[in-house]
Amino acid sequence: MLKLVLRLAGLLGVVGLVAGLGLAAGLRAGYVDAFYARFAAPPASSLVLGTSRAAQAIKPGVLAAQLGSRYQGPWLNYAFTLAESPYGPGYLSSIERKLAPGTQHGLFVLAVDPWSLSLPKNVQRDKSLQDYKSRVLNKLDGRIVFPEEKSMVSQLASVSQSPNLDYLAHYLHKPFYQLLLDTDSAHVIERLHPDGWLEIALPPPSTNPALLHRRMAEKLVTYRALAATNTLAVAREVSLQQTITFLQKHGRVVLVRVPTGPEMAALEQHYQPDFDKRLTALATQEKIPYLNYIDQAYPTNDGNHITRGAAEQFSQRLAADIARLAP
Amino acid sequence: MLFNSLHFLVFFPVVIGLYFALPGRWRAPLLLVSSYYFYLSWKPAYGLLLAATTLLDYFSGVRMSRLASPAQRRPWLYLSLASNLGTLFIFKYFNFFTHTAVELAAALHVPFAAPTLALALPVGVSFYTFQSVAYIVDVYQGKLAAEQHLGRFALFVAFWPQLVAGPIERGGQMLPQLQQPHGFDYGRVASGLRLMAWGMFKKVVIADRLALLANPAFDHPQGFEGPALLVAVAAFTGQIYADFSGYTDLARGAARVLGYNLVLNFRQPYLATSVGDFWRRWHMSLSSWFRDYVYIPLGGSRAGKVRTQLNVFIVFLLSGLWHGASWTFILWGALHGTYLIAESLTAPSRAALAQRLRLPARPGLQRLLSTGTTLALVAYAWIFFRANSLPDALYVAGHLFQGWGRLPTAQLTAALAGLGRHFGAELLVAAIAVALLALSDYRAERGSVARWLAGWPVAGRWAGYAGLLLAILYFGVFGSSQFIYFQF
Repeated sequence: MLKLVLRLAGLLGVVGLVAGLGLAAGLRAGYVDAFYARFAAPPASSLVLGTSRAAQAIKPGVLAAQLGSRYQGPWLNYAFTLAESPYGPGYLSSIERKLAPGTQHGLFVLAVDPWSLSLPKNVQRDKSLQDYKSRVLNKLDGRIVFPEEKSMVSQLASVSQSPNLDYLAHYLHKPFYQLLLDTDSAHVIERLHPDGWLEIALPPPSTNPALLHRRMAEKLVTYRALAATNTLAVAREVSLQQTITFLQKHGRVVLVRVPTGPEMAALEQHYQPDFDKRLTALATQEKIPYLNYIDQAYPTNDGNHITRGAAEQFSQRLAADIARLAP
Repeated sequence: MLFNSLHFLVFFPVVIGLYFALPGRWRAPLLLVSSYYFYLSWKPAYGLLLAATTLLDYFSGVRMSRLASPAQRRPWLYLSLASNLGTLFIFKYFNFFTHTAVELAAALHVPFAAPTLALALPVGVSFYTFQSVAYIVDVYQGKLAAEQHLGRFALFVAFWPQLVAGPIERGGQMLPQLQQPHGFDYGRVASGLRLMAWGMFKKVVIADRLALLANPAFDHPQGFEGPALLVAVAAFTGQIYADFSGYTDLARGAARVLGYNLVLNFRQPYLATSVGDFWRRWHMSLSSWFRDYVYIPLGGSRAGKVRTQLNVFIVFLLSGLWHGASWTFILWGALHGTYLIAESLTAPSRAALAQRLRLPARPGLQRLLSTGTTLALVAYAWIFFRANSLPDALYVAGHLFQGWGRLPTAQLTAALAGLGRHFGAELLVAAIAVALLALSDYRAERGSVARWLAGWPVAGRWAGYAGLLLAILYFGVFGSSQFIYFQF
């Protein structure tokens, strides 16, 4: 038995060494995906939160340059996607894990839109035996099962490790060898910067209007379907409120409605005409500012996300507006 | 728990370590506990069902062993069969049959409504119920002595390496092994680990990569035609073999490490020279089950030509239904039944044609033609197995030969889209991996791969093992991909 154990140890040692060297080379020179760098970054004191719209529109580097003297760093864009990080218990837990311990004067930009505060109309409810007591006590028709409960952001326990083996083992959805192929940034359309900003390196919309129109049309189809099946949810608003309450203990919270394309803005207005009124009321109640840029015109890649050039301009504008806020 | 999960990566060494560290008498109890843990990790409620059917089968077997005449044993046989097949019917087929009845009634304008059961299919239920049915029938027929030890019988049903997707073991093969001591044997353990590594390679490097090629066209077939559909069908043909035989290698390898021999389930099926030959090489434990417990009781080949063909057709219809409660699976089974009947009826004329073409003088060419034709027929039938619905299956089957007149660039680009940005590299990896699998099957057809490997110098062999593990790590497609046969 000892012979086999020794031989296996030798074999696994060699394999582990070669794999480890490959992993180190891949992580050093290559590109993992649109999420990994946020989980490999150290805990942050100032965070940009929300979904893909904020991930692509707000550059923490720009905010840090203008506001770094007033708020604690490090700065990180910790916004993911609508499927991964709508406001809910899962995202809040992840934020709690990501926030640097001892943060007192951070800045927290919470991007909001109707989609990230919605749930399916036929939302699933957990009526399991384990939840019976809670249901009886709270007179609820079962606990709401947030669709993102099993998602990466909700599930990942280690959010500030480099290399983040937990992430790589569970959520790397490309074969390992491709890390070594993705070293040429010039040929990569999507690039996640170390500060968490997601750059989409598409040519400007003006160079290929037909492609832009096709993308816009596809995006609108997706969101119209979403509007038909979803509705603004109290449970999400409660989660947003809990997120605000938690972050207020660690610094300043600002609610921001990030600009989007005019057709998408119109769809959102049609979907939830009272959205701004509700958010304004929430901001007033929580005594935080609500900066609404939905009517501001910025070019987009797909009718939803503003371009990388526009992200620079918008981040400058946002930083300036936050700087002007009363202390 | 999946064999290709991190959970199993912890479970396996812990169980193996404990197994060899414990005194012999504690090993079987450990295996039973670990088997139930393995099974309960999917859904604890499934464990109750497994335990209940195990208890009923155990007591039926014990009771039958104390009764002399078949007439006295028969009620216990029926009770056990009703329990096993009833479980299978309720969990797997109830909704299918009621849905079909409702649709039929609607077509005939007859008012009819039927309830639907909101039950999840317990993992592996088709496998362990068939294993139990074989046991109880063998005991009833007096071919097998009933197992008197409840723990041993429970382990026979729940043995974790083969619990959820086979091979479907027979009592006569497995129960005696459960009584034997299983000490540590270097050669056996090393051979088991080798088989597991090869199974893992087949699953994560080949099957899950080919799935990326097959899925786009099978999930939305209406956007594809000819060339792209052919790529998808070919990819699925490779995927299902690598997936299921990979699982079987993992199961047989893990059992071998523990000291148990599970039956062979695959014997180079794509090198078969006829569809009949294919079924003697593919999922052999299921084929032999249907032969022994359906085909032969129906009369087998003893009741005339027509009845024999009918029996074959019934067996393949049932085999299709066993795979899934859907018309696509039934059609898949029917297609194979039709192939076999046609093969039997045309045998004399095919032999005459081969003589006229002087093929027996060129056995290599004859073999190539037979194998190629068989593979094409089997691949065509896989369309019905993989398609998500009957209309999808009919679309793929009908459009496979359309759209070949023009340059298929756009179609092929769409077909390769599933491989992502590095589709060139992915195709190369897939081609090399499939070539390795083909080479391994070719070697196995000519003799034992293990013996061939044993002829290598030690350094070369260990470098090969390291290469295999590194290939799994570097080129494996990881995620939450289940084994295809888990759904059955």
